[in-house]
Amino acid sequence: MVNITMLIAISILFQLIEASIPLPLVVPGFKLGLANIVGLIALYLYDPKVMLEVNILRVILASLLRGLLLGTSFWLSFSGVICSTFVAILAYRYSKLSIYGVSVISSVFHAIGQVIAVTVIYQQFLMQSILPILIILAIPTGLMTAKIGNEVKRRMKVT
Amino acid sequence: MSIMEVHMNKYDKGLIISIVIIACLLYVPLWFYNQQMDKQDKQVVVEYKNEEILRVDLNKNANYTVKGDQGPVEIEIKDYSVRVERETSPYHICSVQGWVKTVNSPIICLPNGIVVTIEGKDSNVDAVIQ
Repeated sequence: MVNITMLIAISILFQLIEASIPLPLVVPGFKLGLANIVGLIALYLYDPKVMLEVNILRVILASLLRGLLLGTSFWLSFSGVICSTFVAILAYRYSKLSIYGVSVISSVFHAIGQVIAVTVIYQQFLMQSILPILIILAIPTGLMTAKIGNEVKRRMKVT
Repeated sequence: MSIMEVHMNKYDKGLIISIVIIACLLYVPLWFYNQQMDKQDKQVVVEYKNEEILRVDLNKNANYTVKGDQGPVEIEIKDYSVRVERETSPYHICSVQGWVKTVNSPIICLPNGIVVTIEGKDSNVDAVIQ
């Protein structure tokens, strides 16, 4: 229980730090997804339920801390997180993908979930034209997430 | 095990390759859609001091002449794009600009008080995300 709380705290920190780093890329909606590392670690050290808890609480608490609860950006990251978490859990349970594959597919579905939310909220469809770029960019970030998560998993022992 | 090593199994590699292929395939309908949008009923609007003086379809090749402050301004429409062909002004900025075919780039001829824009159903501007 304490460990899970620590994980949530770390992921909130990651999310807040990441929000203050400007990226030099012009693609809107592209982020590194540092906070997803923690979700991945939760999935591999504990179980899918913990990952769901960590991710959902992270999004809610981080947007509460930034004062943007229930705003547009909250719904964007919420739908992305829901999408990516469920896909990661499905891939973890029912496929032979390693941590890298699980991370890549969850990162790709994070982008898809966000684009769906943008389409619903802004009622405009041109965001879909950058979906392929976002999907391709999600692969290296997903691999990076998986690499860091894997190193942490190797070094950390759950007591 | 070095820090840079990545141990992917064959399913991971297959997944990544298929994601790349799917992402590329997603561009095919978008490309067709853009082609369709380009040919759709866009109109050329010419304004003189904020008053609309001419509104014509973009899909008909034609030449028009409107009166500006410094003299006649000749506007040419050809192949779904528009340009100011000839006008009288100190720097000829609007005729140097050349052909314009998108909604977002108006041709502005300030000495003559003429603004030429293309109007369509959709603009290419995405929403601004904060």
